[in-house]
Formats: sequence, C-alpha cells, structure tokens
Amino acid sequence: MSATFALPMAEYRFPVRRRASGESALVKWSLIGTALAFLALFLFVPLAAVFHEALCKGLDAYIAALAEPDALASIKLTFFVAALAVPANLVFGVAAAWAIARFEFRGKSLLLTLIDLPFSVSPVISGLIYVLIFGAQGWIGPWLQSHDIKIIFALPGIALATVFVTFPFVARELIPLMQEQGSEEEEAAIVLGASGWQTFRRVTLPNIKWGLLYGVILCNARALGEFGAVSVVSGHIRGQTNTMPLHVEILYNEYQFAASFAVASVLALLALVTLALKSYVEWRVRHETSDPVTVGPQE
Amino acid sequence: MSIEVRGIGKHFGNFTALDNVSLDFPTGELVALLGPSGCGKTTLLRIIAGLETAESGSVLFHGEDATEREARERKVGFVFQHYALFRHMTVFENIAFGLRVKPRRERPGEKGIRDKVTSLLKLVQLDWLAERYPSQLSGGQRQRIALARALAVEPKVLLLDEPFGALDAKVRKELRRWLRRLHDEIHVTSIFVTHDQEEALEVADRVVLMNQGRVEQIGTPEEVYEHPATPFVYGFLGSVNLFHGRAHDGVMHFGNLALDAPEHGGAENALAVAYTRPHEIEVGRFAPGDPGILARLKRALIVGPSARLELEREDGAGMIEAEIPSELHRRLALREGDTLLVRPRRTKVFLNAA
Repeated sequence: MSATFALPMAEYRFPVRRRASGESALVKWSLIGTALAFLALFLFVPLAAVFHEALCKGLDAYIAALAEPDALASIKLTFFVAALAVPANLVFGVAAAWAIARFEFRGKSLLLTLIDLPFSVSPVISGLIYVLIFGAQGWIGPWLQSHDIKIIFALPGIALATVFVTFPFVARELIPLMQEQGSEEEEAAIVLGASGWQTFRRVTLPNIKWGLLYGVILCNARALGEFGAVSVVSGHIRGQTNTMPLHVEILYNEYQFAASFAVASVLALLALVTLALKSYVEWRVRHETSDPVTVGPQE
Repeated sequence: MSIEVRGIGKHFGNFTALDNVSLDFPTGELVALLGPSGCGKTTLLRIIAGLETAESGSVLFHGEDATEREARERKVGFVFQHYALFRHMTVFENIAFGLRVKPRRERPGEKGIRDKVTSLLKLVQLDWLAERYPSQLSGGQRQRIALARALAVEPKVLLLDEPFGALDAKVRKELRRWLRRLHDEIHVTSIFVTHDQEEALEVADRVVLMNQGRVEQIGTPEEVYEHPATPFVYGFLGSVNLFHGRAHDGVMHFGNLALDAPEHGGAENALAVAYTRPHEIEVGRFAPGDPGILARLKRALIVGPSARLELEREDGAGMIEAEIPSELHRRLALREGDTLLVRPRRTKVFLNAA
C-alpha cells in the first residue's frame, strides 16, 4: 500500500516545489551574484578607496587636512547652506503638497511638472540660469551691482542654487502620502471645532511626520553633496565660497590627494549617516502603517 | 434644534448634485435621507455641516440663517462613512479632541475631560477600549467611537453619512437598532444618509427620498412604503411589478383587466403603468373566462411563512414576481411549469410622462 502511495506523491511534489521558487537555483544565484559583484565594484570598492586614500599618510595628516582653515571654512559653509535650504524646502514642500493633495485648481498639473523640473534639468544649467539672471552681465546684474548687492560668487547665489536643486524632495515625498490619506480626518477635526492651525498641528502633521522626515533627510543629503549648480555660481573663492564638494575638486586638481580624500571622507561619512537615518525612518514607517493586533472583523 | 434648508442648488461641473432642494428637519427627529448613489444626499448633508458650500439657497439652524457660518462654528456632530478617526490617537484622545481644541475659556479641565470621555465611552458601551488605537478596533467599534467623538462637543444636530455602509450585514442590523435606542435616549435632531431602504424604513421617524438632486417624497416610513408618490419611489422601496396599459375615464385597462384609477379621471386613452408589490398579487388556477393575466410558474421559492413565485407572462411581456402565503402555495399544489392566472389586488397607476 505504502509503496503504491509513495510514487505518485513524489511525482506530484516536484513541480509544486519548482513553481514555489519560480526559477532554478542556478538562475537565482547567478542573479544574486551579479548584483553583489556589481555593488562591490561600483560602491564598496570606491567607498573603501576614499577612506584608504584619506588615511594613507596617517591619522595626523588626516586631521591636519581637515583642520586646515580653508577646509574648515568649506565644511562650515556646506552646513550653513544646508541649514538655509532644508528649512526653506520643508516649508515649501508641505505647502505645495497640501495644495496639490487637498484642492482642485487650474494649473495643478503645471505645478506638479514644475516641482519635478530640478530633477530633469542638469544642475549645471540650473546654476547657469542664476548667473544669467543675477550675474554681472545678467538681467538684473547691473542693478544689483549699483546697489552693492552680491548674489553670484557669494553665499546668496550658492543658497539659491541649492534650494532650487533640492526642492522636489519633500514635496514629492508628501504628495502621494497626503493623497492616499485623504482629507476626512481634517474635516472631522474642523467639524469638532478645531482651527486651521490646530488641525494642521494635531491631525495633519502627526499623520505625515515620517514621510516628512524622510523627505528632509533626502533633501539634506542632496544639499550637502550638490556640486554642479553650486560650482557655476560659487566662483571657487577659497575660505569664502567653497563648499565641501568644490574643495575636494580643488585639492585634487592641485595634486593634494590625501587632503582631498580626507575632505571627501567627511562627505562619505555624512552619506553613511544619511543612509542609516533613512533606513530607520523606513523601518518606523513600516512599523506604524502595519496594523497591530486586530480585534474583531474588519470592514 | 430644528434645521431648515431652502432652495439649495449645487453643481459639480456639468453634473447637478442638488436642484433647488427645500426641506424641514423638526427638533428631535431622526430623519433618513434615502436615495441611490449620486442622488445628492451626501452633498446635502455636507452642505448642512458646512463642509461644502451651496451655490444658491440657505441653511437655517433654529430659524437663524447659518449659510455663512463656518463648519467649525456650526456646532454639529458629523459621523463619516469611513469613521475618520484620528489614527495616531488613542480612543480616549479621539473622543477628547473636540474638548481639547476649545478656546481656553470654554475648555474643561483635565478632570472634566476625563469624566466626559468616560461617560461617553459608557454610553457607546466601549469603556474598556479607551487606550486602544483605531487600527485595533473592529468596524462596528470604530463607528461607535466616531459617534462618541461627535457627541463629545454636545452638538445640537447630529449628521451621519452612511453610518453603517462599511459594515457587514449582521453588525449593521445590530448597530442601527442601537442607534435608534440611542436617539430615543438623547433626542438630538439627527439626519442620516443611506442608500439602504430597509435601514431607512426601520430606523427613521421620517424618510426623505431623493433622486437626481431632487426630493421625490417626504413621509413616515409607513407612508412612503404604502403610498409611494412617484414611480421612482415605488421602484426604490422594495420590488415591484409593472403592468403597461391605457387609462381612460378613471379606469385603467391592461390585458382583459379593468382597474379603477379614479385619480386619473380626466385621462383619455393615455399610456399608463400600474405598479403592484409582489405581496399585492393574487394567484389562481386558470379557468376559462376568469379575468387575469396568463403566466407560467418558472420557479417557486419557499422561505418560512411565504412563497416567492417567479412567473413568466404568456404574452411575452416579461416576468411577474408574486409573494403568497406558503400555506396557499401548498393548498393550490403549485408545480413549476403550471399555467396560472395572475391578478393585482392593489395597484397604483401612473400616467406616462411623455
């Protein structure tokens, strides 16, 4: 009896197992292997190279390279610009997402397209636009000069270019989130007597906080690392208008490899911190959106 | 507090949501706005709440014009179809919300808030759920919490948008009886929107039937069910059989039947339709010369005390649905395929609009 039973069982099982994994082990492992090899070659090796080059002349040289006044100035400037650009885009992003998710108005799709513009335009072009508007030969350059206002080759230009390049991040993150959540909770708050501000602070903000934080992290990462647009408007004045990415390039062009990689390693570290924060936020979002124990029937 | 709407009009693009609607909601009544989806009932409810603005007409609360009043100043309780509970707050905080956002002068102290929330949780019989989050509750529990939250600010009016629409049939039945009892207890003027006729007829003091942005009929559940004012109401409240014929001098003729229709005394050979509910149809064995419509029994379904018959007219004019006592079904010894005579016992005749 058992013998006659065993044969059809074995025959039956095989195709089922095959279908469950979808592909053969060979295909699976060669895909994983390719992906890992690619990652190693293009991400891990360069990352390791940055730290290796930065530290190859010893820790003292590394610290000296970072403590050098021009390097310090570039680090300070980078953070200062990010501190201007990120809050500006936070406010803009929330406002734009609110407008797009909650209201119907003419030109809504145009606004959506404009928000994406910085993603589709090369950063160098973005920088060039500001030079064409505010530069000495630009549209309002002569007027600015006669009033002694410096925008291009100065902090305001760098901040403007950074704001432009980073402005889609927060808005793009929030729009789908707010559209999905709908406005019923806000309507409920208003009917219960809450003012616009109370509704925003007690209902809207708590619902979007993780998405908002995620957008801010991405926005901040881009603001710290922006090269192209800033390069065009900065003028590369050492100790004054050099941001970290620009300073790395200058040192490299002057064959100061160790110092160049030392500054680059700070950028790389910031990127790693960003990644860690990003993963944490993603984990929190998953954790909060997946319902805990559910009691009784659901609708 | 009484509510009155006068001449409300509202369009969405080319679509007419509400067409010159005027209604009275007397103090303390529970009124159902009943109609198919897209008939404008939810839009009307949202206009009363101030969540939507009307293009024309006015809303009066207790005789006072409230059209320009903002939603937050109208002091209405609103219960949303999908509950709209604040997902990041506990049940307790959800109910306390309306009290916490009050201006400092009117806001009760922490103890006052706790007492109020506790008493509301007892009222909706869910006091053991205070520390849960909305995602941890069942649909029926969420809806009761939404109701408690709306009641926390002691509204003079309670508006409910398809309150049981998202629940399964059994919970829906329990909850609507519970709502009726709750209303008898607190007696706040309430309007609820529904597309479920059974729900409206069972729960409401009065039913407002709406169709395509207009009011078709207003009345007690019994009035609208027993005396539908329009063909739409007839068709919407339960199943109905239609007999096409002609009305002349107060008599409606179809087949070899003549029915009195005194309300159409002036009609001259006008096209007319007689409406008859399944339980108002008589069924008998065929006998030559007897008046009635010939029909073949296609299917008989016996459910408890009544038998539902599906009959196909011999003249090819479609199906007839009849409901007779099971006992009669047994006595007549009906078989599927039998040829029977069908007669409407009671009808309501409407002339064709064209």
